[in-house]
Amino acid sequence: MTEIGTPVRRREDYRFLTGQGTYTDDINRPRQLYAYILRSPHANAALRGVDFAAAAKAPGVVAVYTGKDIEADGVGGLPCGWLVHSKDGSPMYEPPHPVLAQGRVRHVGDPVAVVIADSLAQARDAAELIQVDYAVEPAIANAAGALRAGAPQVWPEVPGNICYDWHLGDPAAVEQALAKAARVVKLDLTNNRLVPNAMEPRAAIGDFDRATGEHTLYTTSQNPHVIRLLMGAFVLHLPEAKLRVVAPDVGGGFGSKIYHYAEEAIVTWAAAKLKRPVKWTAERVESFMSDAHGRDHATHVELGLDVDNKFVALKVSTIANMGAYLSTFATCIPTYLYATLLAGTYTTPVIYAETKAVFTHTVPVDAYRGAGRPEATFLLERIVDLAADELGLDPAELRRKNFIPTDAFPYQTPVALQYDSGDYFSTLELATKAADYAGFEARRADAARSGKLRGIGIATYIEACGIAPSAVVGSLGARAGLFEAATVRVHPTGSVTVLTGSHSHGQGHETTFAQLVADGLGVPIEQIDIVHGDSAKIPYGMGTYGSRSLAVGGTAIIKAMDKIVAKGKKIAAHLLEAAEADIEFKDGQFSVAGTDRSKTLGEIALTAYVPHNFPHDELEPGLDETAFYDPKNFTFPSGAYVAEVEIDPDTGTLEIVKFTASDDFGRIVNPMIVAGQVHGGLAQGIGQALLENCVYDHSTGQLLTASYNDYAMPRADDLPSFALSTHATLCTHNPLGVKGCGEAGAIGAPAAISNAIVDALKDYGVRHIEMPATPEKLWRAVHPQNMAAE
Amino acid sequence: MQKTVSLTVNGKPVSATVEGRTLLVQLLRETLGLTGTHVGCDTSQCGACVVHVDGEAVKSCTLLALQAEGRSVKTIEDVADGDTLHPMQEAFRDNHALQCGFCTPGMIMSALDLVKNNPDPTDREIREYLEGNFCRCTGYHNIVLAIKAGAAAMRGAPVEPHGAAAE
Amino acid sequence: MEMHGELRIPAPRAEVWAKLNDPETLKTCIPGCETVDKISETEFTAKVVARVGPVKATFAGKVTLTDLDPPSSYTISGEGTGGVAGFAKGSAKVSLDDAGAETVLRYGVQAQVGGKLAQIGSRLIDATSRKMADDFFNRFMGVMTSSDGAAPAS
Ligand code: FES
Ligand code: FES
Repeated sequence: MTEIGTPVRRREDYRFLTGQGTYTDDINRPRQLYAYILRSPHANAALRGVDFAAAAKAPGVVAVYTGKDIEADGVGGLPCGWLVHSKDGSPMYEPPHPVLAQGRVRHVGDPVAVVIADSLAQARDAAELIQVDYAVEPAIANAAGALRAGAPQVWPEVPGNICYDWHLGDPAAVEQALAKAARVVKLDLTNNRLVPNAMEPRAAIGDFDRATGEHTLYTTSQNPHVIRLLMGAFVLHLPEAKLRVVAPDVGGGFGSKIYHYAEEAIVTWAAAKLKRPVKWTAERVESFMSDAHGRDHATHVELGLDVDNKFVALKVSTIANMGAYLSTFATCIPTYLYATLLAGTYTTPVIYAETKAVFTHTVPVDAYRGAGRPEATFLLERIVDLAADELGLDPAELRRKNFIPTDAFPYQTPVALQYDSGDYFSTLELATKAADYAGFEARRADAARSGKLRGIGIATYIEACGIAPSAVVGSLGARAGLFEAATVRVHPTGSVTVLTGSHSHGQGHETTFAQLVADGLGVPIEQIDIVHGDSAKIPYGMGTYGSRSLAVGGTAIIKAMDKIVAKGKKIAAHLLEAAEADIEFKDGQFSVAGTDRSKTLGEIALTAYVPHNFPHDELEPGLDETAFYDPKNFTFPSGAYVAEVEIDPDTGTLEIVKFTASDDFGRIVNPMIVAGQVHGGLAQGIGQALLENCVYDHSTGQLLTASYNDYAMPRADDLPSFALSTHATLCTHNPLGVKGCGEAGAIGAPAAISNAIVDALKDYGVRHIEMPATPEKLWRAVHPQNMAAE
Repeated sequence: MQKTVSLTVNGKPVSATVEGRTLLVQLLRETLGLTGTHVGCDTSQCGACVVHVDGEAVKSCTLLALQAEGRSVKTIEDVADGDTLHPMQEAFRDNHALQCGFCTPGMIMSALDLVKNNPDPTDREIREYLEGNFCRCTGYHNIVLAIKAGAAAMRGAPVEPHGAAAE
Repeated sequence: MEMHGELRIPAPRAEVWAKLNDPETLKTCIPGCETVDKISETEFTAKVVARVGPVKATFAGKVTLTDLDPPSSYTISGEGTGGVAGFAKGSAKVSLDDAGAETVLRYGVQAQVGGKLAQIGSRLIDATSRKMADDFFNRFMGVMTSSDGAAPAS
């Protein structure tokens, strides 16, 4: 079998291409009601009263609930899944996060009341009749502003709005090294706030079966078991056995559908109260003001170099905006998924990072594709480029000079991680060759002749994926294990069902995982079914995020298959009257070594389920095995990207002339799917660099970009086609040698684009351009006399 | 304010009682159960809801159901020929032009409209035409390849075995 | 957002001042205004239909006059909520100066919106407020210049 490494066409496509996918909003339950959520138009206001008498009497309305009802029923708040400690050892401040506001709203979009009616139109009409008495108070939207003396306080019990003040590394060693450095390069930069914008808006349907007492939640989630655990244990206090969470087809997640959201709890709770199914679907404007946002860092970075241009120390201070509440994994993003990556691909011997996480009157911020690693890569690759510029060096050469040598693995970084494998020289070589980096100056000169400013930019990246070894993350404050589970069920006639905890919402698991099983068990791919997304069917799994599905979820499948093969060998030994040690398994056949005596997997399976001739004294019947796999280490995909851009100085418009990516993802199971993941990541990274920006009015906390009128989504004609290549060094600690590919593009692209822009504008004395580099910003950069207007 | 609207959907006559404010997309999804047409925004920008009305691509979230009176609407459910995919659908599959699949129905309906008017579009023309169809997953790279391949198949030109998808 | 403007009205200052305090004139001049009711010398309630880009809403709210210095200046402020469309607040500082037989009216307007209006229409707020302010003062000019003091058809 050669399934691994082939671009098998996706098995899920037929249903999506013909309109037969089943997304949450496509589901309707008998006697279903509709929920409309009334949200705060204010960023910070005391709730003096909610008068919903008229709404309750409106046509079709079945119920109106506010925070009071939630409180009266003892519904808990949304929990945060990661405890971070400050420098002084004190735990972070964890504010309550009620599912409907209680006494105060803290960001535009904070849910205030829910109207439940026979139709959505009736619910929405009735919501218009609710009178909320808000006592509006000053708000603060930006994190640096929230730290200033006298800033509005998001939580009165948190003076200065600091959730935690965390650090990693040895500050004294770094200060010493910087003091001795031949040169210290410094930069202040922001990592712009983004809205994930999966094309499918979030939706949830709560259902309650009076006969069995079972609650069912259909939801747009990347990880149904995590939702079941959080909602069951912390919010609604329901035993898992009575709570089923189903994540059907999900239209993209990118992180934003990891978290447990208020609406999931509201519909589940209301359905039980009303004994009828309750459905909620976000309008896009609600997605903008209720989906967890991403990024939003302000950072100061200093890089020290010695006389040989070797990096000697890195110091990074970051202010991270948490929003008004802590989303499920918010707290680990600007700490353990960020600072631990600051060695990048380099041998920098000492690193110190400190992060202040700050509350503001904004939507909570959490992981968005890349999560912490794009922020780390952006600042690192920007400061390295700036150093090359200040020293008059070729940025590729400076990088090579400081790369971790290919023979130095496993490599222990000064920021906790141990990289198992990598080869940064090869990916850089591949990318610069494909981009014709050497021939760039001629192209720059050509462009200049037609009045254009052309620039080239390199970025390398490393990420920690395959999240995560439970023991490691547990010691760092994670409140969950991060293993994955899989069941491989061989049916009596030899077809196979695989139950996996790794949910697929675009990644193509139904194909990639089937390839693994076809390869491992020698079963034709058509006879393999991959099941995911329903807590009632699959074993307890942790879900899809952090580019972990193949490295962790795939490995769990391999481990379960190993058990199948081991048991199959025992059965075959019995049937073939041979010693178990002599049985070999290959291409779906169990055979006695050195003979032509063999049994197919199907024959073994039939024997296992019709055990007339079966070693009952040694074995149980059946051929159905489950494995839980907890990774030993993170995986470390890496790569090098080269962007070439051309700017029209008269209009500030920018064209990406060429984008070249070379990645090391370890072994690749389906190159077609992997290329698609890279394309998508690059589009989001380029979107961050050039287009996307979530804007709040700083004085009022109003969200100003809450529709596609104002939030610039990357469109087809904003993007180039991409030139991709890969170079594999295998992961050393999982059987497949895979590393993960889902986030790479979003991690490496922003710095590559930004470096290319700064290169294009170098004659104008530009050191840095904040993202997104809109035509206006670029135009102002080449017309500095007009800078004042901003 | 309930009114009756009669139209043809996927070749079959249908009548339904709707409110004046009911959108065509709501009629399709909720009343007729044709959930292949999706809703991705509230400002008529994402294109997840594109259908054909009297042969033209239309964002079904911009049309009131009552405005479809007497018209003929075609949705993604009626593009394949029985179990056989339309060449454009086949091209999307062959070029891995879909991931989560949410934008896909709208993309295909738009692609068919483009190719009807421009049987051999260039990359640039495809990218410009797709301005009103957002995809958050694919970065559009493979969608452009798929539409080229689908267009070639539809005009009977030789199709390259498979595009960069297999790279 | 903030904007400033100035217009020269061919009428004496006292007359301009009187009109600026007259609910009927305000109703005529505020674009989209459906009702203005006086509750005291310095307070009115008003209903205004406003449209910002894709959002159209009826705002019910209060108009108050402060910093009164008759017949020279006042600040007129309005605050209204438009249900799920959000809210709008605005104020204009208006001052009058004699210029021979005419009066120079200077204004500085501040406007702020929240909720859906800000989320969906923020890019249009500046243009919309500017247009509303222009409309208001154009109509006011019309009221002041038409011989019978009635509003022009608009
Ligand atoms: S739903 Fe129609 S364009 Fe977005
Ligand atoms: S495939 Fe997911 S939005 Fe296009």
